[in-house]
Amino acid sequence: MWRLNAVRHKAGRQGSDLEEFKFKRREHEKELRRARKDSQLVSKRLLLNDDEEEDGTMDTLASDQVVELFNMVRHGRDLVKKEADLRALRKALRSPSAHLILIKQPNSIAILVTNLCGPNPQCRLEAARCLHELSHSPHSEVDSLRLRQATPYLITFLSGQSPKFTELCLYTLGNMCPDSENVRDMLLAQGIIPALNNCIQIHRTNLAVVEAVGFTLSQLISANYVTGTIIPAVLASGLIPRLLSVLTPDSQFGLGPVIECAWCLHYLACSNVDNGALVAQGTLLHCTSLLVTLGVAVAKGSIEEGIELLIWPLLRCVGNLLLSGPLGALQPQLNDSRLLAALCAFPQAFLQTHPALARESIWVLNNLTAAADSSVFCSALFYLNLVPALIQLLPFSHGINIMVLRVLGNIAHQGREYCLHLAQAGLLPALCATLKMADTEVVTFSLEVLGQLMASDPQLAEEFVRQSGLPMLEAIQYSNQETIRLRATHLLEHHLPPHCTVDTSASQ
Amino acid sequence: MQHTFLLILRSTKHLNKPASRDPHSLHFTKDSPPVWISQMDSSILVGFRPGCFFSSSGSQDGEAKLTFIPQQILLNKDHELFEDGDIHRHLYLQNLSTCPAYDSPTARQCEFRCYISGCSQVFSTVEDYEHHYNTLHRHVCSSCQRSLPSARLLDIHIQEWHDSLFSILAERQDMYQCLVEGCGSKFRTRDQRKDHMIKIHKYPSDFMFDKVKRIKNIKIAKKNMLQKGTSMEVSMSVSEPEGVCEVLSDQPEEEEYMEINHSLEPGILDPPSNPINTVELSTDHDTAPILSVTIQPTTNQQRPQHNRERHSYRVPRTVCFGQGSVQGFRGHGRRI
Repeated sequence: MWRLNAVRHKAGRQGSDLEEFKFKRREHEKELRRARKDSQLVSKRLLLNDDEEEDGTMDTLASDQVVELFNMVRHGRDLVKKEADLRALRKALRSPSAHLILIKQPNSIAILVTNLCGPNPQCRLEAARCLHELSHSPHSEVDSLRLRQATPYLITFLSGQSPKFTELCLYTLGNMCPDSENVRDMLLAQGIIPALNNCIQIHRTNLAVVEAVGFTLSQLISANYVTGTIIPAVLASGLIPRLLSVLTPDSQFGLGPVIECAWCLHYLACSNVDNGALVAQGTLLHCTSLLVTLGVAVAKGSIEEGIELLIWPLLRCVGNLLLSGPLGALQPQLNDSRLLAALCAFPQAFLQTHPALARESIWVLNNLTAAADSSVFCSALFYLNLVPALIQLLPFSHGINIMVLRVLGNIAHQGREYCLHLAQAGLLPALCATLKMADTEVVTFSLEVLGQLMASDPQLAEEFVRQSGLPMLEAIQYSNQETIRLRATHLLEHHLPPHCTVDTSASQ
Repeated sequence: MQHTFLLILRSTKHLNKPASRDPHSLHFTKDSPPVWISQMDSSILVGFRPGCFFSSSGSQDGEAKLTFIPQQILLNKDHELFEDGDIHRHLYLQNLSTCPAYDSPTARQCEFRCYISGCSQVFSTVEDYEHHYNTLHRHVCSSCQRSLPSARLLDIHIQEWHDSLFSILAERQDMYQCLVEGCGSKFRTRDQRKDHMIKIHKYPSDFMFDKVKRIKNIKIAKKNMLQKGTSMEVSMSVSEPEGVCEVLSDQPEEEEYMEINHSLEPGILDPPSNPINTVELSTDHDTAPILSVTIQPTTNQQRPQHNRERHSYRVPRTVCFGQGSVQGFRGHGRRI
């Protein structure tokens, strides 16, 4: 089970330890980014057992000791002794070097599987733990292929009643999922999806197991090339309503289960296999409700630690599901206009800590305001007085201002009234500033939005001139970037009152 | 008109896509170009790639059009916009996320850039940028590319330096205007004007009355409040080392300059005895000496993009402070 508190305990070291920790983490982050670029971003989880700490003393046994332990397990008849031997073996496997030693032993996995299914519950548990350690192995030789003998049993046990045991099986399977397409096909054929469905139903009150189900499912569907069979199977399985029912965070237990389920929903939505089905089963409704709840909390200033891990997948899920049909049809699912307020609250709260989250929040706003029937949302933005907050985001890079300019462009596109309201909210002076920015794309979008404003009403063109915006357009005409040069010229020629044209006008 | 245009644009963007949904056709990796898909009247941009939306639109008929239309954007799981969030998630999965000071990328404020071609200086605040622009790119004389602080001083400059008729008339009439606005006095020679300004308007005697050399240090300009219509056109020659361009090019530059302006009376070249401390001068007066700066032409006679090729490390006389500074700043990359 993962609690953010538990991890904080580990990170709470002082002094040079902390610096080293941060350095390692930064290095690690770079690795992850590289992996993502290669579409190889994969993580595994290791369940900690009650009788050990994560960095506890590892009894690194010598290889012959490991072999000896294993032989005792293999040949042992006394179940009590076998249980002790298995436990010792499991502890030995905490050290990765022991993994290689073990798998070199003939029939090592088969022996473990025998114990996994054996009569003694404790032996089963320890055998499962051994397999779990192997599933988390850093060695490439210890891969899912080697462990494949275990999978049908692990899957079967998902429908069992023992939470602790089930949790182990789940995380073991979850660690195996990303390894290869063959593994996933095999798991699919062996019935992992109905098993997961069953499992989450049986153990729905045990949030640790629910979290494990979420994790395993997310590993299954976030891999590459899963749209063909796996995702349709998931959509058809009846898992969606169960995932949705998890979407109410339990303050006692923490965010873990909700986070996992939310990421599952994100992976399903962004695959775009059948988003209509997702919506029909209530995904949009539940996700937007939760976002509204979180938005209210965030706006009040109570930002729970790790909450962004939950907000992120929800935003992505909603953002992609908005394309599944005309907004009018989706309207009932969109809860209420407080969603807009939430989408504006997130950037304000997370701008400094997680700017990418701010950007994705505005992306969702874009999808809400860019559809053919978005006028109601654009109106709502004014009604709730959210536009000034958006305008305040314009100074920020990292893609944020571009996305905000898109949204503003979407609103301006709705017509003259909207343009006037935008101007009232103070957009023109803000555009005067964005026109000066270094990023050409920002300037391009600014010119586009400006063009829409000025075309809608000559008053706005005059206002722009009053705001001393004209020298900016003139200056841009002398840029070496053609996109902005041409647009600036276009604006000067077509949208500004005649008495404003300057002698430095480039054409005509 | 605008809206009609946009409507037309939208309709031409509809592809002939079959009505049934083909999942594979909607799957684009982050590397494929954006594709428009018509779906119930709204345009959807799939496989959206930031930075590629606006192509150079001049190609079609030479005339720029505004091309923005609202688009909904579908992002698949590998999209680069999702990178930071994914990294955050995986750090969490690997128990590395919570830490007292998580070094996530923080939002930066956008930088500002001067768009005058060849200038391309970058600034971190609007004020810095505007100051730069107002100092170097306003009221520019098209003949000698100097920037004057006000329209009136520009007129006077043009009249005195680039008007051949002026020198003819000046032989017989009082043509040299007092530079202080509202005074209205005129004089037969530059020296007389200078005396007038010293005596009547209490300008210091070692004030830079006439343009001598290029502005070297914009920091001084900053301290001298640039006020329209109340300053003299002056070239400050400063040899302050910091933040200066053309440090390398002192002597030869001046000679070039002098040669070109050989038609001027030698006496007008009035190098200050104390070239550096113009700051002191400025504090005496509200009317601070203004520094005239040579800059690149901003008239439409020149197509901007070609000027970039004229860089050399020894800054030639016509090169503006802005342009030269890109080359010649020592140490600093860009900031004034």
